[in-house]
Amino acid sequence: MFNQLKARFGSGLAVGITGMIAIWLIGLVILPQLLMVDYSFRPNLLPADIGGPKDTYSLTNYETLFNNQIHLKIFFKTIWSSVLVTTLTLLVSYPIAFYLAKVATPQKAALCLLLLIIPFWINEILRTFSWYIILAYKGPLNALLLGLGLIDRPIRFLSGDGGVLIGMVYAYILFMIFPIYNAIESLDSNQVKAARNLGAGWIRTHWRVIIPHAKPGIATGCIMTFMLAAGSYAVPALLGSPGSRWFTQIIYNWFFEGGDWNQGAAYAFLLLVICIGFIALVMRIFKVGLGDIAK
Amino acid sequence: MDSSVHLDNTVMQFGDFTAIQKTDLKIQSGEFFSFLGPSGCGKTTILNMISGFIDPTQGDIKIGGKSMRGVPANKRPTSMIFQNLALFPLMTVAENIEFGLEVRGVSKSERKKASDRLLELVALEGSGTKRVSELSGGQKQRIAIARALAVEPQVLLLDEPLSALDLKLRQHMRTELKAIQRKTGITFIYITHDQGEALTMSDRVAVMSAGRIQQVADPITLYRDPHTAFVASFVGENNGVRGKVVEAGSEYITLDCGPLGKLVGRSQGHANIGDEATLFVRPEHFRLTAEDGMHTLQASINEVNFEGSYLTLNANTSADQTLSIQLGTHQYSDALHKGAPVSLSYHEKDAIVIAGAGYV
Repeated sequence: MFNQLKARFGSGLAVGITGMIAIWLIGLVILPQLLMVDYSFRPNLLPADIGGPKDTYSLTNYETLFNNQIHLKIFFKTIWSSVLVTTLTLLVSYPIAFYLAKVATPQKAALCLLLLIIPFWINEILRTFSWYIILAYKGPLNALLLGLGLIDRPIRFLSGDGGVLIGMVYAYILFMIFPIYNAIESLDSNQVKAARNLGAGWIRTHWRVIIPHAKPGIATGCIMTFMLAAGSYAVPALLGSPGSRWFTQIIYNWFFEGGDWNQGAAYAFLLLVICIGFIALVMRIFKVGLGDIAK
Repeated sequence: MDSSVHLDNTVMQFGDFTAIQKTDLKIQSGEFFSFLGPSGCGKTTILNMISGFIDPTQGDIKIGGKSMRGVPANKRPTSMIFQNLALFPLMTVAENIEFGLEVRGVSKSERKKASDRLLELVALEGSGTKRVSELSGGQKQRIAIARALAVEPQVLLLDEPLSALDLKLRQHMRTELKAIQRKTGITFIYITHDQGEALTMSDRVAVMSAGRIQQVADPITLYRDPHTAFVASFVGENNGVRGKVVEAGSEYITLDCGPLGKLVGRSQGHANIGDEATLFVRPEHFRLTAEDGMHTLQASINEVNFEGSYLTLNANTSADQTLSIQLGTHQYSDALHKGAPVSLSYHEKDAIVIAGAGYV
């Protein structure tokens, strides 16, 4: 890469560009991470004791999670709910992505994409708050459902997982739609025609021709959504509290309320490791390689 | 089984644009029928209407006498070979061939039997487990044919499937397609802009231009007796000479072609005295020596090309029109060189006159 840059911009600029990238990667990504790894293996001490005889490496911070039944439960609930969010987002996004890529005229597709993107110019917290209003006990959604006679009593969306799921599906839908849209768009339309021509109905055409082709896009979308969902803080904090707590909230509490960065770092790494492991497992089950995702 | 196809007063419009003018055409059961025309003439639209990807704006498509209105593409007794073949790249060769049967709920063992039989038909025995990407262009072609035949269609639609192949393979596949058509006895509807393909394989050809069928005939008739100026110039090479009708018999028409004198050709359709008309003479019908009853026009040679078994001359008439002439190589002499005058003669039975102002 350096040689390419050098050939194009000359060595001075090439050193500058590479240097800036290196500073950014090392100083802002790698070193802080390493620092957190270091933190996570050390006890939380008073400033005076840091570097002293009590400051030894141990797995104690990691063991805390497995000794705390409540935290452990929230930990697994977070993973499971993230799976649920990912699945729901996929179910909502796939038809939209297919419509945009193969059914809509280019003008309509452009309009739809714009309408999908515009809300995301607004801050995530604000968007989540608007869901807070919509889903409130005496909010417009309940009023609508009551008005239509679909329910007898307002539903408490906001004190359980329901509100969190809705909020997250909405928050991450673009991360799912775009990779799938890109993948489906690259499918030769004659493939769909050929399947139809050979007698396949719509379900089979999707199952045998379109979805296999879109698999890398689906995998990318699912991984992004899963990681974002598992690491989400704002949505569960606003739409789920106190009935539905997310593991990220516990990590936050360790850092900023418990003042125990070491413990927080250990929790954060446990979440990261489990998420990566889970993704690797899913990729293996669905036979998707890293190369497919990078396409 | 009746596998005729009837375009019953079919019209296809896309918004304001009429892709297919009102067409009434019957394609016989078991016929090898081609639609020939330049790109944009509407031939692909016809194929899409027959296969059910689009429905005609007016009229109907009948297959085996049954109306196809409202019958979706996946329920029609047709199967299509796409221009880019559209084989499923993520499936094996056998899975590709068996796809249509899988859809129909045929058991695995029956499917296997069918794909083995079809692989044999297209001379690719034992390739079932291969991936599509492992095949050569010609092999992919044959797999596409096998896949389309697997569903036992009444009508096979072919959308310029040979255009991506090199010349040798293309010629070979022509013979093979024709053989497969004879073996299976189903109706083949072939669309192409390549007249060589249309003329060598087809029982009948429909020549299309701008959404309209210009003429439907067997290849020889199409070549010898084109009905319109478009067909005359699109099918095979042709020389058109403009003139005014001075004598219109039932069989022959005489044109006054200005500085080229009076020229005669067979009458093709009706013409009135004084009408504009075009006389068409094919390059191979010109002779250098006049015999009795031949008509002659004068030109000067512009270019001589030696093509092996024949020569082509490019000559300019005094009316500043370029003619192309094809001669047997044995007729070559030193007299044929750039700038030399040449008299070109033809038999009036070999020329045709088509009335109308324009020729393409």
